[in-house]
Amino acid sequence: MTKVLIVDDSKFSQKITYSFLNQYLEDIEFVFAGDGEEGLHKFNEAKPDYMIVDLLMPKLRGQDLIEKVKQIDREAKVIVLSADVQNRVREVVEKMGVLSFINKPLDEKKAREIANIIGNGARGR
Amino acid sequence: MHVAGKISREDILTELFNIGVGQAASTLSDIIDKQIGLTIPSVRILNAEKGKIELNKYLKQVAEGAVMVSSISFDSQLEGKVSLLFPADKMHHFIDLCLHETHDETEYSLDFTDIDFDTIKEIGNIVINSIIGELSNTVNIPVEYTLPEVDVLNNASADHFVDTEDYRLVLMMFLAFDIEGTEIAGAIVINMTLNSLDDILNKIDRLYNGR
Repeated sequence: MTKVLIVDDSKFSQKITYSFLNQYLEDIEFVFAGDGEEGLHKFNEAKPDYMIVDLLMPKLRGQDLIEKVKQIDREAKVIVLSADVQNRVREVVEKMGVLSFINKPLDEKKAREIANIIGNGARGR
Repeated sequence: MHVAGKISREDILTELFNIGVGQAASTLSDIIDKQIGLTIPSVRILNAEKGKIELNKYLKQVAEGAVMVSSISFDSQLEGKVSLLFPADKMHHFIDLCLHETHDETEYSLDFTDIDFDTIKEIGNIVINSIIGELSNTVNIPVEYTLPEVDVLNNASADHFVDTEDYRLVLMMFLAFDIEGTEIAGAIVINMTLNSLDDILNKIDRLYNGR
């Protein structure tokens, strides 16, 4: 079973991400966090195989969450799902060693891209 | 007045915002999985006092004073606040579309649940990011956003959105989305410091007019 932690302060976005990925992936357990701080806590507690992280969040920004998570586990697998379309933000975040940076809103094509990353990783384990 | 061979900075700014608004409409269309008709807005750059007069006209005519507002502030090199205003009475239908839910009767009340607010907050976040983010990319000036806020205001007046103390200029766009025959006449109000707008217009001059 592959465990995926979705960190997003919007329940609306959590629901969309969950619904899409649930269509394309089998044998997945989802864990949810509503801000960066909770995301860090759930990362330590649930030890997810993958994290899907929003950037603009209360308490701890996505960028800071990724930095902390990478300090704990350099190999942590993080996918960013953000509404921020600024090129500079993408460049900075991509240098943090994330697997992919995807812009909201999630659609079928983008969901398949995430599902492929997670599915291929799960098969390789 | 247009000078031959030169395009006015306002025209270029309008075009840049229109690209952002077009992308925002396309994004919304993806979310609700329906086609969205969009009236292309013109951008007006006004001083705060004139901005207030124009905005009050909109609030009286279209929204009858009750609006749902989604807003995000931004700082770093550009400083300001963007507010998306929608007539509150249309929002139940719009939220239903976003959540892919249907209710037998259209609700016109101004009562909204936490899920309604969360939905509009996230939609506002995506739309504002499309508009401001694309502009930021084009003029190559970064912005940092604060967390989005959403509120419903009865008898709203322009004073809620136009801050004459901190921000001297207002960029306003009035736009109408048509979703399956339901027209939602919204407004985008961007409060900006004089320096921020100068920075944008100077970059536009360098990029497009070779000054």
